[in-house]
Amino acid sequence: MNEIEQTGLATMRDCWITGGTSFDLAPAAWKDIAATANPDERERRLLAIAAQALEIALRPAAPKTLKRRPPLPELALPMLPERQRPLLRGALKHAADARAKSRVVALVASRGFVLHPMDWMPAASDQTSPDVYAPWIDWQAGVDGEKHTRREQLTAQNWDDFYPAARRTALADMRRAAPAVARQLIETKGSSEPAEIRLTLIALMHFGLGPDDVPFLKGLSADRSGKVRELAGRLLARLGQLGQPGDSGPEDPIAELAAFITEGKSGFIRRRTTYSPATLKSPAQERRRAELFETCNLVDLAARFGVTEPDFIGAWQFGAHNNVDILVARMVAASGSDAAVTHMADTLVAEGGKPALFVLHLMPRLDSRRQRVLIRLILKDTQYLGALSLAEGVEAGWLDWADLTNGKTLPALRAAVAGNDDVVKRGVDQLLETLGFLATAATAEKLIGDVVAAGMAPAAPSLALLRLNASLAGP
Amino acid sequence: MKTIEALAPDQASLSSASKLTKRSNWPRLEKNEQLALIWGECQGSGSNPYRVVVDTGDHGYKCTCPSRKFPCKHTLALMWIAATTPASFTAAGSTPEWVNDWLGRRRKTTSQPAAPATGAAGKSIGEASRDDETAAVEDAAAIERREAAQRKRAQDTRSSVSAALDELDQWISDQLRLGLAGFVDNSSDRCRRIAARLVDMKATALAGRIDEIPSRLMGLRSEERPDAAIRELGKLVLLAKAWRSTPDDAELKRLVSTSESREQVLANPEAIQVESVWEVLGEKIETRRDGLVSHATWLLDLNSASPRFALLLDYFPASAGRRSNAFTPGDRFDARLVFYPARQPLRALVVERKGDVSPREWPDFGFDIADPLPAHVALQDTAPWLTDCPVMLPPGGILLDDRGEAWWQSTDNPHGIALPIADTVNPTLLGLDLAATAALWSGSRLHLLAAQSGFGRLDLS
Repeated sequence: MNEIEQTGLATMRDCWITGGTSFDLAPAAWKDIAATANPDERERRLLAIAAQALEIALRPAAPKTLKRRPPLPELALPMLPERQRPLLRGALKHAADARAKSRVVALVASRGFVLHPMDWMPAASDQTSPDVYAPWIDWQAGVDGEKHTRREQLTAQNWDDFYPAARRTALADMRRAAPAVARQLIETKGSSEPAEIRLTLIALMHFGLGPDDVPFLKGLSADRSGKVRELAGRLLARLGQLGQPGDSGPEDPIAELAAFITEGKSGFIRRRTTYSPATLKSPAQERRRAELFETCNLVDLAARFGVTEPDFIGAWQFGAHNNVDILVARMVAASGSDAAVTHMADTLVAEGGKPALFVLHLMPRLDSRRQRVLIRLILKDTQYLGALSLAEGVEAGWLDWADLTNGKTLPALRAAVAGNDDVVKRGVDQLLETLGFLATAATAEKLIGDVVAAGMAPAAPSLALLRLNASLAGP
Repeated sequence: MKTIEALAPDQASLSSASKLTKRSNWPRLEKNEQLALIWGECQGSGSNPYRVVVDTGDHGYKCTCPSRKFPCKHTLALMWIAATTPASFTAAGSTPEWVNDWLGRRRKTTSQPAAPATGAAGKSIGEASRDDETAAVEDAAAIERREAAQRKRAQDTRSSVSAALDELDQWISDQLRLGLAGFVDNSSDRCRRIAARLVDMKATALAGRIDEIPSRLMGLRSEERPDAAIRELGKLVLLAKAWRSTPDDAELKRLVSTSESREQVLANPEAIQVESVWEVLGEKIETRRDGLVSHATWLLDLNSASPRFALLLDYFPASAGRRSNAFTPGDRFDARLVFYPARQPLRALVVERKGDVSPREWPDFGFDIADPLPAHVALQDTAPWLTDCPVMLPPGGILLDDRGEAWWQSTDNPHGIALPIADTVNPTLLGLDLAATAALWSGSRLHLLAAQSGFGRLDLS
């Protein structure tokens, strides 16, 4: 279309928009085509020509400000094979929330694969995905960034070349291998970062936490962020460092918490000290006690009673008050020393039954051996199977068929599947999802066969994760 | 399993079907591999079990249950069992009577009328021939009457459609006189009125198209709508003119009044047949204002050196719930297709499906980088009344403008043509290099169907 035609088209268009005849405005060549017809037909002919001109000769003008995102980085693991993607999508679809979806992702990563980016992408704020996804998290976060994730060693010099998630992953690895070097980096570069980033960096100190970290963590007591000061206090508490000594007055939180705990004695011959929750008069007091458990450190509380952390835990009367037991378990998980955590886990697992369930709150602090022991214990007893869904930070894909057959789990599952109780069936669905995450591929395969034989529909959505698991034989 | 999901009319059916996959629900499960049939009896709430049969070759099905969903949960469950536990089916040497009945009815409706079988049992060839001759003599008058009636009906329809197009012309002139600004603002009412008139006057297909103009306009930014209105109305003018010059043209009749039946297309010697490996690129499902759902499935010929597309088009009432044909995006199969005769044949029917083939990359089509829309230009040159045109775009990527709207742009020519995308795109796409992209170009927007990327094939429809 030449310039005259373009100008003509523009004026005709304006004329038609407001209404009227455009024949006199048309380019000469177009007029020739329409001239012989009556006025209405002339307009229609011109309309047809204009329509084709707009369709073919004119294209949408591309804005000059079109923005291209950097290419999505390739990840270190291979993509899940195409044939397994329908199974994966089934499992993701069935996963009710982000936590359940992240379990699917973790299972696939444990078998040596990553997901297709159109099937699942971590959010920019994601901090729970397997480390292999760090480049995608950074890609999600870096809207206009020119930087690229680097594979070399993180140093103070190249600190800014790393996106946050890649930096976090690199620092976590460094804390495991050379904690002092990593601490020095956090110390050097962290102070200039905003409080939110500083907090995530300090949180990485829990990898390889040791006495050498004490001076640095103590130095953070002057940090301008309250959250950073609180986190540093917790890490110091894990190292057995007492907090700021209180004045034992009514404003001292440790003293206030201690007042909510009853110290007693038990045993006829060898009298030993016991600690149990005091009976409170009002829900307001209950709430206050809960707040104090969440903010106080175990080492300070034990010191307040003049005992060591393991002694305090050993003397706590688990089973008397469920909610307070959970608060104690959370306090131990947050601020207990490694020794206190393992002591509590071993003691309660040995005791078995309901008290063992409180160990679930310690899961992120336990080594994989202890985690597995607890899960096997719960599976063997089956009384509290539902609690398995609370387990956090557990490894995927290790549960053997023997772990299911060595106890009441399998018969209980079969009975529930064959029954007609909808509530029980919902519990089965949840358990199958959990087992879909924990099981080995062979166990998943056998479990599917077993529950289908018991009457479960072979295509039941609750088997989705087990099916995916069974299809992923290993890295 | 993908096929079953695609066939299911809704999620509830799928869920109900999953509960029926227990072996105990099915007192009878049989198969005949030669005929590619599976059938069974499912114990429902009634006194008699429901009888279900499925043709595993083309996913045809029949169930005796009263459900108004198609396929019903029993059919889905039977397919499901076949997919997950094929060993549940007993091999049967012969098919039961009710399966034979269904097969018989099916063949009558889906294939050309078979020639009368000569030498039928109990008759000699001579007798059979005599019967045929007698029948031919007896039917000759009836056939002539029928044909005369058909000719009369066709003539009436042609007159009626011609009058309808006169009204349409006048209506278009009125829109120009009154102003396209007003047309854009009131397109819904105005189009509805003329569409109703066109239906009365047997220009049904054209009425359906005009009914969709408002939604096509509303999908654009307000400043683009006048140009789009010019394009829509101008194409109607061209279509009306083309029909008047050749009212018997199959393509134009299809676009103006009614479409041919499957049998007519199959019987048409001008209909091109192509046997090849096809990939399902994607689907476009739209609920129209006339209460029909149009389900368009776009296929790509993987054996063709230049991009060749096929469109499988299905209409069904929206009240029947979600339906689907047997295709899922990404499926690849060997099949013979027959194309509806047209200047640029696109719409097709599957004549014979020979089975699935393993995944493979798209062929390298040797793109013309200077212009990503040559196919569109070619199509508009020969059939300027068409709207959506399938195109294969060269290597490119998806970019965002200041308003956050997505554009496709060629990689090798970043300062050249960029095409705006109709729908919201998955943000992940912004980080992917697209080696080739299949899309529909509407003249103003791209509807993405599928793409090849470094991360493999992407479903975008």
